[in-house]
Amino acid sequence: MWLTAVYYDGRQARPHPVTLCVEGDKLLLQGRDIVRREELNGLKIPPPLGSTPRLILFADGGRCEVADRQGFAEMLQDAGNSAVAGMENSWWYALAALLLTLSLLAVVYLFGLPYAARVVADRVPVYLLERMDNQFFASLDQTLLMPSKLAEERRHTLQDGLRRLVLPPGEDRPAHIEFRGSPTLGANAFALPGGSVLVLDDLVNLASNDQEILAVLAHEMGHVHEKHALRQMLQASVVGLAMAWYIGDVSSLLAVAPTVLLQTRYSRDFERRADAFAAELLRANGIPVSRLADILEKLEAAHQTAAPKQPVESVEALDYLSSHPNTEERIKRLRGQ
Amino acid sequence: MTEYQSRQLQFSGSGGEYFRIWIVNVCLSIVTLGVYSAWAKVKRNQYFYRHTTLAGASFDYHGDPKAILKGRIVAFLLFACYTLVGKFDQVAGSAILLVIIVAMPWLLMRSLRFRLHNTSYRGLRFAFHGSTGAAYFNFLLLPVLSALTLGLLWPLAQQRMARYTRENSTYGSEFFKFFAGSGAYYRIYFMTIFIGVLVFAGLMTSVMLLGSKELIPVEADQLVAMSVLVASIGTYLALFLLAYPYVAARLQNLVWNNTQLGPHGFQAQLRAREMLGIMFGNVLLTLLTLGLYKPFADIRLARYRIEHVALLPQGSIDDFVAGLQTNSSAAGEEMAEMFDFDIAL
Ligand SMILES: [Zn+2]
Repeated sequence: MWLTAVYYDGRQARPHPVTLCVEGDKLLLQGRDIVRREELNGLKIPPPLGSTPRLILFADGGRCEVADRQGFAEMLQDAGNSAVAGMENSWWYALAALLLTLSLLAVVYLFGLPYAARVVADRVPVYLLERMDNQFFASLDQTLLMPSKLAEERRHTLQDGLRRLVLPPGEDRPAHIEFRGSPTLGANAFALPGGSVLVLDDLVNLASNDQEILAVLAHEMGHVHEKHALRQMLQASVVGLAMAWYIGDVSSLLAVAPTVLLQTRYSRDFERRADAFAAELLRANGIPVSRLADILEKLEAAHQTAAPKQPVESVEALDYLSSHPNTEERIKRLRGQ
Repeated sequence: MTEYQSRQLQFSGSGGEYFRIWIVNVCLSIVTLGVYSAWAKVKRNQYFYRHTTLAGASFDYHGDPKAILKGRIVAFLLFACYTLVGKFDQVAGSAILLVIIVAMPWLLMRSLRFRLHNTSYRGLRFAFHGSTGAAYFNFLLLPVLSALTLGLLWPLAQQRMARYTRENSTYGSEFFKFFAGSGAYYRIYFMTIFIGVLVFAGLMTSVMLLGSKELIPVEADQLVAMSVLVASIGTYLALFLLAYPYVAARLQNLVWNNTQLGPHGFQAQLRAREMLGIMFGNVLLTLLTLGLYKPFADIRLARYRIEHVALLPQGSIDDFVAGLQTNSSAAGEEMAEMFDFDIAL
């Protein structure tokens, strides 16, 4: 059996029309001014790739291009074919690969990523965490945040209340607290990635008594205890990185939006765990768990009236206490305890 | 001298066929935790190169997946360091960024070398011979100067970069030549700015007119501010959407129409309007299909860009002979890709 091909000798761009045939374990190549007889073992035959021409590469840089893929496969008994090349040609394998890819991505996103984030978060050195929070305040103190207007005494009373709390085993000291004012963020408290808790003036003013504030602080300490903010930040970074990489040539702007959307899935579970931590801490200190439910209700009401003022750019602040759809459910569960 | 007919580049890839290769690549890359992605990249390049034909012969790609894998690992570590460290410590993050920027010209030079060395046509390799010093001058000093002059020198810098890449490239033993002056680059950007000014003026006057006839509810003293705002946003959006395809199409035409290989010339005839249609459709469909349209989009854009370039032979194109070969590593190319620092080739 003969096959027509075009041969290039690797030294000049001139094409040589040739015919190929196999004689035993040798390939015979014949053209008008060229004859080559080569061991099949010494030739490199790349696997087929879609409908691209089949190739034979000679050790000395010579090269054969064969347009007739069918004839090539028959003559050389599909030398160079590989399992991957077979998969690439079949729509069934493509479908299977698509389903496998989607399920793998889902598994990585739902389990792999949170697990990796937890492992990494537990290994970030303390001095780095402190530096992170300092940096957070350094960048926001000029824009979103301003000095607290609370009286010195008031702040001391709250700090003392926190210090007197009996902590669960394993916790050696209460979270570090920073007071700030912020007209845009309103009544709110945030657990920062580095472990500090940011308390805003409006929250202190909104509370009817100190026990409610302590309840919020206990909840935020739950976030700090499990490094929720840090883990969430790590997860969001990885998702953002992957998105930016994938979309890459479209626009990195588009990569930001989905990241923010995807992020919210994590915070529900985190809220539940922080609530559980707070409930335990409050009970151990003889404070009714319903205090947390009370202040949550007030926060919900305050944020609903101030809703249009909610800034969009508070993504960095990891806005946990803002009106999540699950706040009602949380209040109900806290009241039930 | 006899007249030789122009030879259009042809592209025979198809979206459906490439989709199957792409999805298997993606799947295997995930299963192997990214290791297979180097092999996938070779496949992708081979698919596009082998489907590109000129005068009956196809191009080919010979990159070594293991070299690419090494480059990818280095690039990934650097990039991960930069994004993560930047979150904890801005100073350290900026230091890493600075290192990356300072290394970039060298990396780009290596990347060009790797890419061209591993590209062949009719059994002969391309090659890149640019020096490191010139790479730093063209890829670092000129862009920095153009930033210092608020972009005034950017068209000049771009012309110098194109000249550096073209005039140091060879096919076989033949060097490419490049003739475009910086004036032509300035004209392209000048036109872009001119279009921007037109859009701004048009939007501004129409808002003023509508406002003064009280067709839109604006108070008289806020009308100017309002129309400036609308016009700025409109101009920004228009330039954001239009400028990239326009400049990309014009630059590709300019570069190819002023490139020669030995005695042979090239001709590129891309249209900004058609580029815009393709790019816009690609982004839209890729988003709507959650990324699944990406392989089809790649094929569509490649077909348009390849089939609008032609070789204008002045003599036989069979006479090229092989040149000396240079060694090359893949580290440069992967870095350049990771940091989205690509140059129009
Ligand atoms: Zn919370």
